[in-house]
Amino acid sequence: MDQMAGQKTSLSIVTNISVVALVLIWLIPTIGLLVSSFRDREQISETGWWASMFPVEVAYRVSPEPEGVTQDGTLYTFSGNLFSASDEVSAQGSGDVSAFGITGRDPGAATPGQTFGRLKLVVSEPDGTTDEENYETSWPADGQPTAPETDEDGRPVQDFYIDRAVTVAANGDFTWVQDGEIGRAPTIYIIAAAPPDFGLQNYEQILTSDNMDRAFINTLTVTIPATIIPILIAAFAAYALAWMDFRGRGFLIAMVVGLLVVPLQLALVPLLQLHNKVGIGQSFLGIWLAHTGFGLPLAIYLLRNYMVGLPRDIIESAKVDGATDFQVFTKIVLPLSFPALASFAIFQFLWTWNDLLVAKVFLPSNSESWVMTVKIADDLLGSRGGDWGILAAAAFISIAVPLIVFFAMQKYLVRGLLAGSVK
Amino acid sequence: MKTSLYASAAVLALTAGAAHSAAHLPFNPGEGDFSWDSYTSFADQYDLSGATVEITGAWTGNEKEKVDKVFDYFEEATGATVNYSGSDSFEQDIVISTRAGSAPNLAAFPQPGLAADMASQGLLTPLAEGTADWVAENYAAGQSWVDLGTYADPDGNENLYGLFYRVDVKSLVWYNPIAFDEMGYEIPETMEELKELTDQIVDDGGTPWCIGLGSGAATGWPATDWVEEMMLRTQPPEVYDQWVTNEISFDDPRVVAAMEEFGYFALNDDYVQGGAETVATTDFRDSPAGLFTIPAECYMHRQASFIPAFFPEDVVAGEDVDFFYFPAYEEKDLGKPVLGAGALFAITNPSEATTAMIEFLKTPIAHELWMAQGGFLTAHGGVNLDTYADDSLRAQGQILQDASTFRFDGSDLMPSEIGAGAFWSGMVDYVTGTPAAEVAATIQERWDSIQ
Repeated sequence: MDQMAGQKTSLSIVTNISVVALVLIWLIPTIGLLVSSFRDREQISETGWWASMFPVEVAYRVSPEPEGVTQDGTLYTFSGNLFSASDEVSAQGSGDVSAFGITGRDPGAATPGQTFGRLKLVVSEPDGTTDEENYETSWPADGQPTAPETDEDGRPVQDFYIDRAVTVAANGDFTWVQDGEIGRAPTIYIIAAAPPDFGLQNYEQILTSDNMDRAFINTLTVTIPATIIPILIAAFAAYALAWMDFRGRGFLIAMVVGLLVVPLQLALVPLLQLHNKVGIGQSFLGIWLAHTGFGLPLAIYLLRNYMVGLPRDIIESAKVDGATDFQVFTKIVLPLSFPALASFAIFQFLWTWNDLLVAKVFLPSNSESWVMTVKIADDLLGSRGGDWGILAAAAFISIAVPLIVFFAMQKYLVRGLLAGSVK
Repeated sequence: MKTSLYASAAVLALTAGAAHSAAHLPFNPGEGDFSWDSYTSFADQYDLSGATVEITGAWTGNEKEKVDKVFDYFEEATGATVNYSGSDSFEQDIVISTRAGSAPNLAAFPQPGLAADMASQGLLTPLAEGTADWVAENYAAGQSWVDLGTYADPDGNENLYGLFYRVDVKSLVWYNPIAFDEMGYEIPETMEELKELTDQIVDDGGTPWCIGLGSGAATGWPATDWVEEMMLRTQPPEVYDQWVTNEISFDDPRVVAAMEEFGYFALNDDYVQGGAETVATTDFRDSPAGLFTIPAECYMHRQASFIPAFFPEDVVAGEDVDFFYFPAYEEKDLGKPVLGAGALFAITNPSEATTAMIEFLKTPIAHELWMAQGGFLTAHGGVNLDTYADDSLRAQGQILQDASTFRFDGSDLMPSEIGAGAFWSGMVDYVTGTPAAEVAATIQERWDSIQ
C-alpha cells in the first residue's frame, strides 16, 4: 500500500510540475504583451517589459537659465534648483539626484555633495613655454580642488584655475561657477531615478481612432454569417455522409479530407475573378461565400466523424417507426450533435475574427469596409510598423469578443473535439 | 424689403457653403507661398463632378492622412471623389486585385521594380504621350526619372508608365549636435575625414556608429543601401548601372570591394554600438535611439530622410538631431553622388478622372501641398522651395539639387528575387561572418538561376 501511495505521489508531482511549466510557458508571453500594451514605443525599445515594474536610473540633461548671477573677481556664480529648472526632469525624476556631471560622455562623474568641474592646468613644455589644458575632477563642496603634479604626458603642472564647476546637492540645489561671463545656459547632467511609467494612451488611441466602431461592426458583419452558413451546410452534408447510403459516398468523404490540405491562398485570385464575373465583386456577400468555402472541409469532416459515432440503435429504431431522413436529422442527430456544432462554431468564429488575408482580398479597400484586423495593420501601425505598444493593446482589444465566445461555449469545445476526432 | 431679405439669405447661404467647403482644407487657396496659379488653372480646366478615382498605395497611418489632404484639393478643384486606401501589404494586394480584375484606377508604387513587372504583364496603362518629355524638362535630373519610369510592355515596346511623386534621399548621416559640440567634433567633408572622425571617437572612448539591419521579413535592406552608397563612392556611376543590371557580375572585385567598404564600418567591434554581432539583430527602427541617450551610445547613424519618424518624440530637429551629407572620397574625384528612392504613380485602370489626376500630380501645387505638411521631398523643378515644412527638409532638398550624380536605390531596381531577397539575406550573412567574396558569389548564383 505504502509503495503504491508513494508511486502515486511522485507521479502527481511530475504531473503538477509539467502543468505548471506549461502554464508558465503560455502565460509569460501573454503577460509580457499585456505589460507592453501599457507602455509607449520608446519605453518598449529601451527596456524589456520585465524591467518596467522597477524605477530606473536615467540620465537627464538640464540647462538652467542663468538668473541672479553674482561676480567675484573673474568668477561668475549663480544658483538654483535643477528639478524646478526643467519640466521634463520634474515630471519624471523622483527629486533625488544620485550622480551628476558636466559632459554627456560621463553624466554621473560625481556624487551629490561634491563639486565637479573643469580645471585649466598650466603646464610647462620642455622648451620652457607654457600651455593650458583641460582637466576634469571632483572635490568636496566645502574644499578646494587639487591638481596632479604632472599631466598625462608627464609635463609638470605649474598652476591651475577653475574654468567651470558645479556643486549639486541630492535635492537638486546647485551652484554654477564659471570663469568669465555666463553667456548662455550651462548644461548640467544629472542621474535620477525615474518611476515606472504606465499609461492607457495606447488603448485610448485605438478606441478613439476614426472608424474604429465601423471596423468593429464590419468584423461582426463578416464573422457571424461566416460562422453560421458553413455550419448549416456542413450539418446536412455530414448527416448524408454519415447515415445515408448512396454510391460514391466513400469517395466524397475522401475528397473532403483531401481538400483539408489545399492551402486557401491558391484559391484567392481565381475565386475573386469568379466573383467579379458573376457580379458579386468585392463585397460582404463575397467574403461570406469565401469563408464558407474555406471552412467547409474541416466542418464536414469534424461533424461527420461525430455523427458516425452516434448509437446506430437510436437512428434505426426511429427509421423503423417511420421517420424520414429529414426527421431523423432534425429530431435526433442535430440535438445530439450539439457539442460538435458548438466546437466547430468556436473554431470558425475565431478564425474569421482574426483573419486579415481573406478580408483584404474579398472586401473593398476603402476605409468604410475595413474590418478590425485591416484597421490595425494598415492604419494604426503606421507606414513602417514598429509601434509595438499599439500592436499589443490592439491584440487585447480584439481578443475581448472571442474570449467571451470562448468562455460561453468552452464546455462544449473539448467534448466536441474529442468526440469528433478520436475514434 | 423682402427681396433684400432673400438676397442676404442667399449671401449667407453662399458664404456658409464656401466656409464649409474650405474647412477641411489645411491651406487656404490664395494664401502663403504656394503656386496657387497652377491650382486655379487646373481647376478651370476640369469638371469631373460625379466621377470617382480609386487609388491604392503603401502610404498608411499618418502618411495616408497627409496624402489624403493633397487629394482633398483635387476633389475641391474638379468635383470628383478620390478614394485612397493604403495597405501594409500593398505589393501583394495590388497583384491580386489587378489579376482578378478589380484593380483601382491608380497605384502608388513604393519602388519601380514591381511596376516594371506589372507593366511587362500588361497590367499597367502607359501615361499620355508627351509626359516623358514633360518629366525630362521639369524634374531635376529629369531624364533619369524618365528612365526609371519607363518599362517594356508584353510586346517589348518601351513606354513611360510611372510618374514619380515623393523622393527619399538616402545619403544622409544623422548625428546629435549637442554631443558633437561637447566633444569638439567637426562635420566631415570627405570620406577620409569621416574615417578619421570615426577613429577619433573611438580614441575618446565613444562608439561612432549605430547600425541596425533588422526589419522583419526584409531584414538586411539597410545594408544594401550602405553597399550602394559605397559603390557610388568607389566606382563611376556607369559601373553602378552595370552592376544593377548585372552587366558586371555580382562577384566582380569592384562590388566585393564596396561590400568590404561597408564592412570597414560595420564589422569593427569598436565602431558599432553593441559590437559587430548585434548589427544583424538590431531593428533599423530602434537603431537611431543610441544617438539620444546620455551618455551617447553612438554618434552617427546613416539612414534615409524618412528616419526622423522613428526618433523619440521629444527630439527636436536642428537642436537634438541634425544631418550631414554622407561624404565621398576626395582622392577618387567622383563628385558628390547621391542615392535616393521614390514612389511613383501608375495607371492600373484608366478613366477620364484618372488622366486628370495624373495632370494634377504634374502641377507644382500637388507637390507643395505635401511639402508643407512635412516628410516629403520632390524632384519637381517648378515648386517653391519655401513651402518645405522646415529647414532640415529644405537642406535635404538642397542635397538633392547639389548632387553631381543621382542614382536610384539599386536593390529596388534589381529583380525582386535579388534586390528583395538574395541581396538582403546575403548582407545578413556578411555581417555575421561570411566573407564578402563568398556572399557575392552566392548572390550571383541566384541571379544566374533566374535568368
